[in-house]
Amino acid sequence: MSQVEIIGAQKHYGPVAALENVSLKFVDGEFFGLLGPGGSGKTTLLRSIAGFIELDSGQVLLDGEDIGPIPVHKRDIGMVFQNYALFPHMTVFDNVAFGLSVRKMPAGEIKRRVDEILGLVRLAGLQERKPKQLSGGQQQRVALARALVTNPKVLLLDEPLGALDKHLREEMQVELRRIQREVGITTIFVTHDQEEAMTLSDRIAIMNQGKIEQLGAPLEVYEHPANRFAAGFLGVANFLEGRVAAVSGHEARIDLGLGGQAIAPTGGYKPGDTALLAVRPEKITVAAGHGEQGVNRLTGTVVSAIFSGSSTTYRVQVGDQVIAVFQQNSAPHRFQPDDKVTLHWSPEHNVPVAP
Amino acid sequence: MSRKLDIGTGLAKTYLAVVLAFLYLPILVMALLAFNRSPLYELPFQFDLVWFKALASNDRLLNAGRNSIVLALINTVVATALGTAAALAFSRYTFRGRRVMQLLLLPPITIPWLVIGTAMLVFFYWTFPLIGLKPRGLHAILLGHVALSLPYVIIVVGARLADFPKSVEEAAATLGATPWQTFWRVSAPIIAPGVVAAALFAFATSFDQFVISYFLAPPGVTTLPVEIYTSIRKGFTPEINAISTIIIVVSMSIMLITARFYKFGGER
Amino acid sequence: MSPRQRQNWAIFGLTGPAYAWLALTIFLPLSAMLYCSLIDTSPLVPKPANFTLANYAAFFQKSFYLPLTWWSILLGFWTTLFCFLVGYPAAYALAKRVKGRWREALFLLIVLPFWSNALVRVFSWTMVLRQGGFLDMALHSVFPDAPTINLLFTYPAVVIGLVHSYLPYMILTCYVSLQAIDDSLMEAARSLGAESWTVFRRVIFPLSLPGVLSGAVLIFVPVIGSFMEPRILGGAKGATLGMNIEEQFTVTANWPLGAALSFTLLAIVLVIFAALYPVLKRRGVWG
Repeated sequence: MSQVEIIGAQKHYGPVAALENVSLKFVDGEFFGLLGPGGSGKTTLLRSIAGFIELDSGQVLLDGEDIGPIPVHKRDIGMVFQNYALFPHMTVFDNVAFGLSVRKMPAGEIKRRVDEILGLVRLAGLQERKPKQLSGGQQQRVALARALVTNPKVLLLDEPLGALDKHLREEMQVELRRIQREVGITTIFVTHDQEEAMTLSDRIAIMNQGKIEQLGAPLEVYEHPANRFAAGFLGVANFLEGRVAAVSGHEARIDLGLGGQAIAPTGGYKPGDTALLAVRPEKITVAAGHGEQGVNRLTGTVVSAIFSGSSTTYRVQVGDQVIAVFQQNSAPHRFQPDDKVTLHWSPEHNVPVAP
Repeated sequence: MSRKLDIGTGLAKTYLAVVLAFLYLPILVMALLAFNRSPLYELPFQFDLVWFKALASNDRLLNAGRNSIVLALINTVVATALGTAAALAFSRYTFRGRRVMQLLLLPPITIPWLVIGTAMLVFFYWTFPLIGLKPRGLHAILLGHVALSLPYVIIVVGARLADFPKSVEEAAATLGATPWQTFWRVSAPIIAPGVVAAALFAFATSFDQFVISYFLAPPGVTTLPVEIYTSIRKGFTPEINAISTIIIVVSMSIMLITARFYKFGGER
Repeated sequence: MSPRQRQNWAIFGLTGPAYAWLALTIFLPLSAMLYCSLIDTSPLVPKPANFTLANYAAFFQKSFYLPLTWWSILLGFWTTLFCFLVGYPAAYALAKRVKGRWREALFLLIVLPFWSNALVRVFSWTMVLRQGGFLDMALHSVFPDAPTINLLFTYPAVVIGLVHSYLPYMILTCYVSLQAIDDSLMEAARSLGAESWTVFRRVIFPLSLPGVLSGAVLIFVPVIGSFMEPRILGGAKGATLGMNIEEQFTVTANWPLGAALSFTLLAIVLVIFAALYPVLKRRGVWG
């Protein structure tokens, strides 16, 4: 398979920086997610790898070779577009066979490979249909089959699951991972949906305004976000501000603005520093009762309780901040607005983040 | 509510029938007279093909008709090719000056044909002799017809291109197709209905064109509309009824046949 | 070659031929005619030419040019107005009241005459309007003692012929505009309490305005420069500026005067456009 690497990519559109000195090395065979809000540069990066965008400076290397000057149709990549971009005037078979016929493969060989890939994506038997006769999920599989059948060096996906409804999306997430594992191809995809990024990727890069905010495995990035943006974009986070009172060993004791204290693993703090801690809502436990603010303990009033099947989201007013709490609906008691509650969580869930 | 809609639909159809009557009345009258024996429209109506037979030996009209058809065919090929290319460029590339170039398509549509026709006459009169061409003639008329057809072709094909997203062509590129291959195997089949519609427009624009042909036609060489005009001004020959009827029947038939295959404003 | 350069060559190759053609047939000729309008001898006469503004001055000096121009503008106005009054309801009926196969069939029928020769259509009106023509005979078959109708060579005849020729343009553009209006917009207006007339006045008509205005432009511009229809249907009564210009080029061979008048006509068209530009831009016809 293939090594893909980006070195120092820069792209400006007038005064706006789409990519600001981005460097990235992709692991052979991994499923990599570029995650970020609109305008973060993720799509620009993907399209630079594809060859639709020319970088102002920097290089795109494929197996060590700079592919910048190579036009799109010679790059040996596979790409699935957000709207699938199937050829409306061709059958499923002709769509998938297109890349092979352009490479002047013999007809018998083409048929064998097309049938094989359609089997892989579980669309056998639909060869003679036209795209408009297919459902969204089926169209996407055709687009995937078409991109993969030529055995490209890298697979690029632009918001692959965005157009699908919830159930279909979950199903396709499993399918996509299965197919990718089976083929073993380096896959890079772009999404603004953090849940999609986490479920599909081996590693993700969170991008913002042309820069990479954080890079790592989903679990790693989720549990140890580097900064406020990463913490807030991937999942939901509560941010607690305070000042470091004391540091001892591997712990820091922080006086919180809301009252009470938090004990956090030292993030390189010194006494007197301002600290910003991110606490994930699912790490917080809600209990009845009121009292004083304590250590890793806050009290407040429930503002809203939103039930969504397997979990309930509480928003609790503590001082002038609203804290979000996710609770799985296995707890016996459900709280209502205006209930007085106590929130507590364990120290290792205080994650120091850069502002 | 649905009662009201029924009245509405009935009223609508009635009104449309009235409008259609207005549009077709003179045409039907003329067609009728083409088959009437009397050269002066006297009743009673006697069916006769005498005027069609006379038409067969009316060389002036026949030559003019042949000129018109040949011109229209050449015009269609040239205008459609040039216009489709330009529409492709506008739709697939962004470049400085694109807006200006699109605005430059307005003059042929918005300037009265009288102005364009006389301007061409003046310009050709001054420049063509320098390269050994006569200022008036079928070549000059062709130049004018294509110029008038180009904006329509660009607009019609452009509309079809807008409907079909660039990502389809990008997908072809990622699959290894060169730009040329992408055009022939992907873009062309998809925009074909638009191109056909544009070609029909171009044909009609040329075949129908009077003003420009009038100024650029030298004595002895004319197109059908110009010939009909001079015939009417000189005094009337009933063969005009005959050839007019033929033109109407043929052009409408072509339209009907094409409409069977291409739904206007969408795919079949 | 870099991708950027490749792209520039592609753009040049694709647009070059079409625009070279337009330069040769529209832009250069217009410049040539501008020059011609500013000299004092016709190009047909082998005398050296001098610069002069006399041709343009003639427009204001000769007493008949201004009324003639005004007549021509009025002709454009009446034709456009009647095309609108007849055509808009037809387009509305077709777009909003007729469904399914009827709609396709009727649309085709309305557009079909469009594809036949304009001259043929104007000529066919002479058959109807002349003395002893269809209208005359129809009237007499019902009222044998009625006086003869001869509408040919009258001003109304010219208007009728022009409206007949250009009506499909208006119906077409209005239809396209009206058809694009989503039914859900009207339903929303109804749900907010608006009655049919209000829905039309405040929702449908404003949204269809681009179609109306495009149709008006497509009709008005050719009509004010027309000479064929006025001559055939109006004879001497239907005199227009267009006819006068045509005469300068064919009969009197006074090309400089004809050129100047041509440009004056063009200037009038542009002035009218400029006056309407804010309205057109706001309604999304141009911008």
